Amino acid sequence: MNRNLSRTLILALFCNVAVSVFAQEAGKQEAKETVCFESRKGASEITKREIKPGLPNIKCSATTDAVLWYGDPYEGTVPMSKVPLLDKIPEGNAVVKPRTEKLSLVPTCTLACHNGVTPAGFPKHKKPVPIPTMEAMVPEVKDFQHGRGRIWCLDCHHPTKRNLLVDHFGDPVSFDQPQLLCGKCHGDKLRDWRDGIHGKRIGEFASTGKKRWFVCTECHNPHNVQNGAHQRGFTQLQPEAPPQLPFGMKDAKHEKQHPIHH
Amino acid sequence: MSTDNTPPDSTDRMPASADPAQAAQKSSRRDFLKAGGMLSLSSLMGTAALMAQTDEAKATVEWAEHFQKNYRLMTDDEKNEARIRLERRHSAEYGKKVTVDTSAAQPGVLMGYALNIRKCIGCRRCVKACVEENNQSRGTRPGERIEWIQVLRMERGEFSQEKMNQGYPEGLGIQVGGNAYTPAGQVLEGQYHYTPEAVPEKDATYMPIACMQCEKPPCVKVCPVRTTYREADGPVVIDYNWCIGCRMCMSACPYWARRMNVAKPVLPKDEMNPVTHYLGNRPRMRGVVEKCHWCLQRTRQGRYPACVEVCPVGARKFGNLLDPESEVSLILARKNVFRLKAELNTFPKFFYFYD
Repeated sequence: MNRNLSRTLILALFCNVAVSVFAQEAGKQEAKETVCFESRKGASEITKREIKPGLPNIKCSATTDAVLWYGDPYEGTVPMSKVPLLDKIPEGNAVVKPRTEKLSLVPTCTLACHNGVTPAGFPKHKKPVPIPTMEAMVPEVKDFQHGRGRIWCLDCHHPTKRNLLVDHFGDPVSFDQPQLLCGKCHGDKLRDWRDGIHGKRIGEFASTGKKRWFVCTECHNPHNVQNGAHQRGFTQLQPEAPPQLPFGMKDAKHEKQHPIHH
Repeated sequence: MSTDNTPPDSTDRMPASADPAQAAQKSSRRDFLKAGGMLSLSSLMGTAALMAQTDEAKATVEWAEHFQKNYRLMTDDEKNEARIRLERRHSAEYGKKVTVDTSAAQPGVLMGYALNIRKCIGCRRCVKACVEENNQSRGTRPGERIEWIQVLRMERGEFSQEKMNQGYPEGLGIQVGGNAYTPAGQVLEGQYHYTPEAVPEKDATYMPIACMQCEKPPCVKVCPVRTTYREADGPVVIDYNWCIGCRMCMSACPYWARRMNVAKPVLPKDEMNPVTHYLGNRPRMRGVVEKCHWCLQRTRQGRYPACVEVCPVGARKFGNLLDPESEVSLILARKNVFRLKAELNTFPKFFYFYD
């Protein structure tokens, strides 16, 4: 009886997800907007529009759909919470783009399954075990590599509130501020990010100027960040077109010839 | 003043002296030429009409541009006149409100640039962002496509024991590992035209190069008309109106940073960036040299350059070297930094680093 109930629950969940996905696709087709991704595909996107006549908010690449130019670097941003040990930046001059509302699975998961209660069959100890439901919904979890098998979902995700992360003291962390969680282990990177050496910022270049800070997960996918096919922590992406060949040159094969065979 | 005896039509492109002491003498010669022009007004109008047969306003503008001074010798009024002239001409040409900024270097600012070569994935987004921002020519015929940033793909070296005795550096490749007598092997020289499905590739590193904004720039030393010079806040700039297109700077530059408009630049009206600077990204004419100027139209207003904002991995860093809290100052203090071809004593303001 119990098993049947759980099966129907899973089925209902799948239907829900499928319907929402179709709805999203239909919405995109109707509007016919130019939507371009910023740093990595699937993390953050911007819809192209005009700020002033003749001045767009972004310019996009025709070949890769990547953002190539920012007319308005602060579009859709909110003030960032305080960064530890950083009090030189005036209030409101550090902004981030909120990510919580972009997370497509959160409404379903938070309401249908993990509505503030610990699900039945929740493991007592924090030993990594595969969760088939989750693997079906988030494919990249199947080749999960972060921590090389030593950590798993609930080391970062809140067990009962699915729209929040959790640090290793059990305190909830917003999806908009993942640095508070990532920095618990990657402290050297957090320090460099705080000082502007690691990571990306756009806006004004003065050290006290208004900047949009890109947070960890806008560039790195925490689930498969160590993948062998990926390099340097980034998902591979399609490059832009190469430069024009010199006059009279048919191809660039000469660049690939080794002068000495070894 | 021996040059006063030469006829006006041969002195219109005479080199201007950048020496401030000679400025007065130079301007008096220009005044003389202008006075001569006023005297023989009718014949000059005829020449102007021959130069551009479309309309009289355009001819007057071209005539005025022909007789304007080197940008460094212009007074503020003359700069303003040139700015208004250019704004009017470009607005008409591109069908939108074009602004030409003439703001000067601010005290307390010395721009610096840093690039993390461990982070670069070779996606060439900076190259295309630069084209979008800086109004380069983007045609399809030979010489009509200009890009200021080049991304070099380099093979990764290998230090395996088996390859220790292989190869000797006598070709064009770059020796890796070992020493001069027992090199470990060679990698390819940089490739510009790599086209993989996805970057970064496993066996490659990428090295973007552009103008290094040297403190002692060889291009400035060789310019016969002194149209290219270093601004007080760092960037090396070009007054395109005084460039004679001799390409001496292109051969002098050790970083392959300068580009020549050999054909008439192709710049579609809808893609043109209307926010321009006189020494920066205003539309160029045929026969002048151009290069990276760290997006002067942005950085003089406090914005990051376009390539910094678009880099998807955050490898590019820009800041004020005189501010100890700026990103570049902190990188210089903390990271392993080198400058390309430092042995040439050009003292670039562009630093490569890795962590």
